[in-house]
Amino acid sequence: MDDIDQELKNGKLDVQAKQIAGLLDAHAKRLSMRTLKQLENGRERAVKTHAQQIAGTGVNRDGTLSNIYLWAEHHRIVSTGLVLGAIIAGFVIMQSFSQKDSSDAFLLSADLPPEAFVDRSFEPYLNNGQGKL
Amino acid sequence: MASSQELSDFLRDVERRAFKQTVYAVRDDHVALDIVQDAMLKLAEKYADKPVTEYPMLFQRILQNTMRDFWRRQKVRNLWTTLLSSFGAGKDGEEDHDPLDTIDVEDESDNPMVQLERSQTMVIIEKAIEKLPARQREAFVLRYWEEMDVAETAIIMGCSEGSVKTHCSRAVHTLAALLQKQGFGSKAMASLGVKS
Repeated sequence: MDDIDQELKNGKLDVQAKQIAGLLDAHAKRLSMRTLKQLENGRERAVKTHAQQIAGTGVNRDGTLSNIYLWAEHHRIVSTGLVLGAIIAGFVIMQSFSQKDSSDAFLLSADLPPEAFVDRSFEPYLNNGQGKL
Repeated sequence: MASSQELSDFLRDVERRAFKQTVYAVRDDHVALDIVQDAMLKLAEKYADKPVTEYPMLFQRILQNTMRDFWRRQKVRNLWTTLLSSFGAGKDGEEDHDPLDTIDVEDESDNPMVQLERSQTMVIIEKAIEKLPARQREAFVLRYWEEMDVAETAIIMGCSEGSVKTHCSRAVHTLAALLQKQGFGSKAMASLGVKS
């Protein structure tokens, strides 16, 4: 670290680095028209958004929903898994409700009273034929 | 709070360097354009209430974070591409050449020899910068190209000032050695119009 500080103090590194940075800067000025145009479009969009934010007509990026969206955007796999899990869970719950509905309809339309289906000894009783008069 | 004109002036000043800096990092012009445009939009959306003096650091931080997001998505995408490659997705044909891509803005020097030397030098320098480790490249660009001080660079990179100095030193040593090897010493650079 002392050697690095010494080199920096001597300015030797700085001279070389600034020469290179100078070349990079000169080259950065020579971009294609297409690239410059696209950069300009991006800049104009940003300025327009900034103006909307200042005027208070922009979308509120500090709200709870916005934070949830940003979290989901950064954790796409987890959020996709949660959404799929919620869809599957909803499907399973809907299926169980429809089964309950069909079982209610069955009980109401059956000839036997509901108590007969609750009594576990009823079925063996029927199978043994003891119900015959 | 910065005005829209101040924001526009700042972005106009910084956009070319930001684009080149991103190209060195991601090695793809289209992706670099997307990243820079995203960074501009994020700066305008999230930091509209900040003064213009804070914009250089904020913009660089946003740019670095957006590049990292790209690399993370690229990693996941590559994983899926590798897994699904056996289904034989055909390669897209090359895009048609667009003349706008090769039309340059006018150069001050009309001397073709100077232009040729410069372009050859730039190819070498750009390849060298692309080959630098990411942290060294970041430190070099922020310190010497964006002209930020050590403290500001450390904040943007999320490391100590000592680390910034180390990364800068290594980056410059590597680049200088490479240029010396290619025959580009201080005199050669001076002849290309680069002042030390």
